[in-house]
Amino acid sequence: MRTTTTRTRSEFRGYRRRVLLGAAACGAAALAGCDLFGEPNPPPGPDPLEPVRAQAQALADRYAAAIAAAPDLATRLQPLRDAHLAHVAELTKVIGTPPPSPSPSAPPSAAAPTDPAALLASLRADEEAGRRDAETACLAAPGHRAALLGSIAACRATHVEVLT
Amino acid sequence: MTAGDEALAAALAAEHAAIYGYGVAGARLSGQQLAAVREAEQVHRARRDALFTRLTAASVTPPPAEPAYALPFPVTDAAGALRLAVHLEERTAAVWRHAVGATDGEQRKLALEALLDAAVRATRWRVAAGVSPATVPLP
Repeated sequence: MRTTTTRTRSEFRGYRRRVLLGAAACGAAALAGCDLFGEPNPPPGPDPLEPVRAQAQALADRYAAAIAAAPDLATRLQPLRDAHLAHVAELTKVIGTPPPSPSPSAPPSAAAPTDPAALLASLRADEEAGRRDAETACLAAPGHRAALLGSIAACRATHVEVLT
Repeated sequence: MTAGDEALAAALAAEHAAIYGYGVAGARLSGQQLAAVREAEQVHRARRDALFTRLTAASVTPPPAEPAYALPFPVTDAAGALRLAVHLEERTAAVWRHAVGATDGEQRKLALEALLDAAVRATRWRVAAGVSPATVPLP
């Protein structure tokens, strides 16, 4: 009798736990949509902003490597790195899910040149490419996302300006 | 009026104000900085004219220029003129940023181009004014 009761409670707890986990998963995937019973819908594929966020993170990482290679440039480069991290944060708000953790098999980013002129030229090329990609994403995005993407493109354009 | 036309009308009003503001800034600057003011002014005039044509074609009455605009602060010297130039481009960028989200197709292209241009000019003016950092994360 006692054993039966225990099993019933444990089953009940198991059920509660599934419901709560379902609700939590649904909260994390708010943009994916949830049905009435808290089950997340099948994921609709990667968010189109994902590549823009990955690029913002990659740009921030390039600056971190550049600052490590040429500490004299830190004052100049740190605000630019911070801007890319701010973009990652803003994009994360819109995407609604945190960035995927970097894959351990991802190749380390190319070593930054140590000559300051070469370093700045390489960052400038990265920013230029980033600006183009953000513009393309902006023109293809729905209105509520386009303003943020336009602002990110504009920011990257200003980085090209101060690296010149 | 569509949301896109409304945003473009707001952009036209901002372009009118920028043109006025550059007139004030130019009176306090000389040399290369004055040349940069004149160049910026030309760009804003071209945008104003393009917006005027576009809005008229869409049967929207374009907002007229005011005879004068209140300045955000008194401009009495070159330093003030440079700060005003930064302010003008920041304000213009903000209005165009809004227009990017309110438009699509060709209109969004126009708005995006104007946003990038204003953001880059604001950065150049911050450099000229000795403002550091010269960039902002979300122009």
